[in-house]
Amino acid sequence: MPAPTDAAGLRPMHALAASFVHWAVGTEGSSRSSALIRIGLAMLFWSRWAGELLFYMDQSPIGLFLAANFFVATTLLFVGYQSRAAAVWTGAVGLAMYYYFGFQFGREPWTHHHTYLLAVAALLIALTPCDRSYSLDRYLAVMRAERAGLPAPAERGNLWGLRLIVVQLCVLYFFAAFDKSSYAFLSGARIEAIFLWYYAGSDYPAGLAWFATIASVAVVALEYSLAFGLPFRATRRYLLLPGLAFHAIIYVTLPVYTFSATMVLLYLAYFDADAVDKVIARLQGIGLKEEIS
Amino acid sequence: MADIISIETGAGPAGRLSAGRLRFCVFIAIAAFMIAGPAAEQVFGVQSPWLRSWTMFSAIGLGVIDASFEIRQPDGALVPLDRFAMLDAPRNGKLKWIQNPEELASVIKRLCTAAGQGSDIRVRARLATRDGWQIIHTDAENACAD
Repeated sequence: MPAPTDAAGLRPMHALAASFVHWAVGTEGSSRSSALIRIGLAMLFWSRWAGELLFYMDQSPIGLFLAANFFVATTLLFVGYQSRAAAVWTGAVGLAMYYYFGFQFGREPWTHHHTYLLAVAALLIALTPCDRSYSLDRYLAVMRAERAGLPAPAERGNLWGLRLIVVQLCVLYFFAAFDKSSYAFLSGARIEAIFLWYYAGSDYPAGLAWFATIASVAVVALEYSLAFGLPFRATRRYLLLPGLAFHAIIYVTLPVYTFSATMVLLYLAYFDADAVDKVIARLQGIGLKEEIS
Repeated sequence: MADIISIETGAGPAGRLSAGRLRFCVFIAIAAFMIAGPAAEQVFGVQSPWLRSWTMFSAIGLGVIDASFEIRQPDGALVPLDRFAMLDAPRNGKLKWIQNPEELASVIKRLCTAAGQGSDIRVRARLATRDGWQIIHTDAENACAD
């Protein structure tokens, strides 16, 4: 009878789909890595735009409105008061800077990748339990629980926002590599042109050709590897350091603004949230104390 | 897929089940948007500011010119020509970057003037384009003879 055979054949697909659904929206875990990303994003927003958005920089009504929204939203995000709403607010400010001020008003480099990535990351962190750790929200929740004679609320929640960050990073790496998968890039020509543009001027340095070719192939191979390898623990251990080194190199050699720092911060989303929690506990000596007691 | 979502989003009451399904639908919608942006531009060639293409540094460096100059000595030998020394220009000044063919033509004209009448200057130059280097000047002929 064909039916049972078909059903048996579909079973692995069913299991794979179930596993994906569980990974995507069914995982609960520690909220600490989400909270660390929340705090890091607020600091990255400040490091990138606080100087440009000081009130005297653009004294037009819309400029002052943007600056006020920026500083209030990011401060709430940093201290963690109404954290998830603050994350949405911060993300909306980032998108307004990107689409409205960047594309409509031509304000540069607000249309660049780093702006979009920061805005999207803030929106995605709103889908995590980023309010449940290292936040004023957490402090107030603990106070409320103490007054009611209840145990402190668990620092846990659904991690689907972190999963979406993982998807975003994979898509970013894949299409960054896909765009470079052409002879023009792999031959080294585009890296040579970038090097001349920023460093050498119109004088082609000796030895650049072989270096550019090797670097081009390595960059594309690394980006594809990061796209498909970072989500999995078995391959992540080999790709983490190359990924961090890659972002460190482009941070110090090219004007990528906060892009590298944001990517490195978002790497936290790849790790099992409970494993991150355990590392934090060990660093704070909590795990050790528990073991001794 | 619906039963998988039902299984994975808990065996709780009906309301919780709906929340899990809704969350999965939102997850898929957001993930689809993330993929649609770069796919639209890189696969289908649709450009829109509303969609992020993740084409990194694809425009930086385009238009820059790689140029080298040689001058013929009285004994007939061609030797490298230092355009900065010839034009008495700072090495980190404007002359460092030749940014388009018109600027290259201007530099060649100035070099020929500085070298004097009858000088023989050979120029090899290529322009950075999205498809790679495009040769815009060869050293087959004396650039000062143009």
